[in-house]
Amino acid sequence: MRAMFAIAWKDFRSLVSSPIFFVISGLFCCLLSFTYIRQIFDFARRSMVLAHQGQGVNIHMSVFASHLSLVNLILLLAIPVFTMRALAEEKKMRTYDLLLTSPITATQISFGKFLAVFMSGMVLLLIAAIYPLGTALFADFSWGPLISSFIGLALLMGIYIAIGLFASSVTSSVILAAFLGMVLILSFWFIGQGAGFSDDPVLSAFFEHVSVGQQFVSFLQGTLKLTAVVYMLSAIALFVFLTQRVVESSRWR
Amino acid sequence: MIEVKNLTKNYGDRKAIDTLSFKVSKGEVVGFLGPNGAGKSTTMKIITGYMAPTSGSVEVDGLDVFEDPVEVKRKIGYLPEIPPVYGDMRVIDFLKFCSRLKGVPGKTMNSAVASAIEKTSLQDVQKRMIQNLSKGYKQRVGLAQALIGDPEILILDEPTVGLDPTQVVEMRKLISSLRGNHTIILSTHILPEVQANCDRIIIINNGSIVASETLADLAQSQSGTCRIGVQVARDVEKAKSKVSLVEGVKHILINGMRLDIEMSHSSEGIEAVATQIVESGSGLLEFRIESSNLEEIFIKLTSEKETSMGGVQ
Repeated sequence: MRAMFAIAWKDFRSLVSSPIFFVISGLFCCLLSFTYIRQIFDFARRSMVLAHQGQGVNIHMSVFASHLSLVNLILLLAIPVFTMRALAEEKKMRTYDLLLTSPITATQISFGKFLAVFMSGMVLLLIAAIYPLGTALFADFSWGPLISSFIGLALLMGIYIAIGLFASSVTSSVILAAFLGMVLILSFWFIGQGAGFSDDPVLSAFFEHVSVGQQFVSFLQGTLKLTAVVYMLSAIALFVFLTQRVVESSRWR
Repeated sequence: MIEVKNLTKNYGDRKAIDTLSFKVSKGEVVGFLGPNGAGKSTTMKIITGYMAPTSGSVEVDGLDVFEDPVEVKRKIGYLPEIPPVYGDMRVIDFLKFCSRLKGVPGKTMNSAVASAIEKTSLQDVQKRMIQNLSKGYKQRVGLAQALIGDPEILILDEPTVGLDPTQVVEMRKLISSLRGNHTIILSTHILPEVQANCDRIIIINNGSIVASETLADLAQSQSGTCRIGVQVARDVEKAKSKVSLVEGVKHILINGMRLDIEMSHSSEGIEAVATQIVESGSGLLEFRIESSNLEEIFIKLTSEKETSMGGVQ
C-alpha cells in the first residue's frame, strides 16, 4: 500500500508542477469563467421575464448542467494529456526498470498511477466547483442535483483516466499515448450513436446502456442510479485491469 | 545464494542467451564479462525479475524468481545500464521515493537514505535536481538507489560506462568498498574493472558461458599456452595447413597475411612451428611469442572468427 501511495504522490507532484498542468488549468479557468458569466447573465434575464408570467426557471438545468458539460468536454481532451506520460515516459526514460525491479506488484503500479492522475483531475474539478459555489453566495438552489452531477463527473473522469492510462501502457511514445487515449475516450462516447443505426430494439437498448453519455445524463439530472454508478466503476476497473495486465506482461514477454 | 539453471531467452528467432547455468555464493564478487550483445544485460534482467526467460530457472536464496518475485526483488539492488532516475526530482526526494518503493520502514527511512548518500558521496548534490547533474553523478544516484534498503545482492550493469577516467576510478573504489557486505554481480566489457574488483569472472559470449573461474585459475589454465604471431609474405593458407599439423596447436587465426597461433607452451612445439612455416615456403617475415594476459584470454575466448582446432578448453 505504501509503495502504491508513494507512486501516486510522486506522480501527482510531478504532474501538478509541470508546465503542461499550468497551461491546461489556466486555459480551463479562462474558458469556464467566460462561458459561466454569460450563462448566469442569460439565466438572470430569462428568469426575470418568466417571473412576470408567474413561471420559474431551473438554475441547475440551465446553468450548471451546461457548465458541467463544458467541464466534461475539456476533461475529455485534457485527461489524455495528463495520462500520456504516466507509463509511456517511464518506458522511454528507462525508469520503468526501477518500478519493475522494485518489490511491488503490477497492481500497485497501475493503481498508484491511476490515483496520481485522479488527484490531479480532482484539482480541475475543484476549480470547476468554485463557480456553482460562488453562485451559492447570492442564490438559493437545491444542492442534490449539483452534488450528484459532480459525483458523476468524478466517475466519468475516472473512466477517462483509466482509458488514458491503458493507452499510455501500450506504447513508449508520449504523443501516441495521448492520441490513442483521446480516440478511445471519444469512441466510448460514440458507442451511443450505434443506437440510432440499429432497428433491433435489443441492440439499440444495448448501445444505449454501454454509452457513457447516457449514463452521465442520469447523474446530471440529479438521479443517482445504482446501475450508472456500477457501470462507471466497472468501466474504470476494466481499464485499470487492462493496464495492470500490460504492466505485468512485461515480466513474461 | 544465486543459482541460475539452464537459462534460455529468445527474442523472436534470435537466441539472446542459451542454456546458461552458474552459481554465485554469498559474499562473492562476480564479474560478468563479454562483448556487446553477448547477453549480459539479458541475464541480469532475468535475475532481477524484470523479464522472464524462455526456459530455465533462477533461484535466489532458495526462492524462485518467478514464483516469489516480490520477495526476491526485496533482496536485490539493481543498477541498470541507464540509471533509472527521474530528472524532475531532487536527489534526496528521489532516494526517499525509492526507499518507499523498496518497503524500507518509515522510521529507518531517513537513515537508509543518509547512508546511501554517504556511501556514494552525494552529500554535495542531494538538494539538486537530477536532470541538472552530470552523467557521473546520475550514475552515482543510480547506485545509491540500488544500495537503499541494504540489499544482500547487488546487480550492477556496466556501472562505469560513460564516465570520465577519474569518475571510473571513483566508481571502482566505491564498488570495492561495498565488498564483503554484499554479494555483487557486475557486468562490464572493460577488463581492468574485473581485475580491480572481482573474485571470479564469468565470460559470456553469444549467450553461452565460455569460462567461469577465479582470476588466478583462469590465468593458470591459460598459462600452459602461448600465442605466436607470425607474419608471412605469401601463401598464408599453406602455412596454416602446415602449422596445424604440429602437435599442441590449438587455434590458428588468419588475419591478412598474419597468423595468430595459440599452442601449448613447449620449446619443441615452437621450434616445430617455425620449421613448418619455413618449409612451407611462405616467406617468414616475423615470428613473435606473445605473453598471455587477461585481455588476450578474453579476446581469445570471445573471438568469433576463430578457427577452432579442438575447443577452447
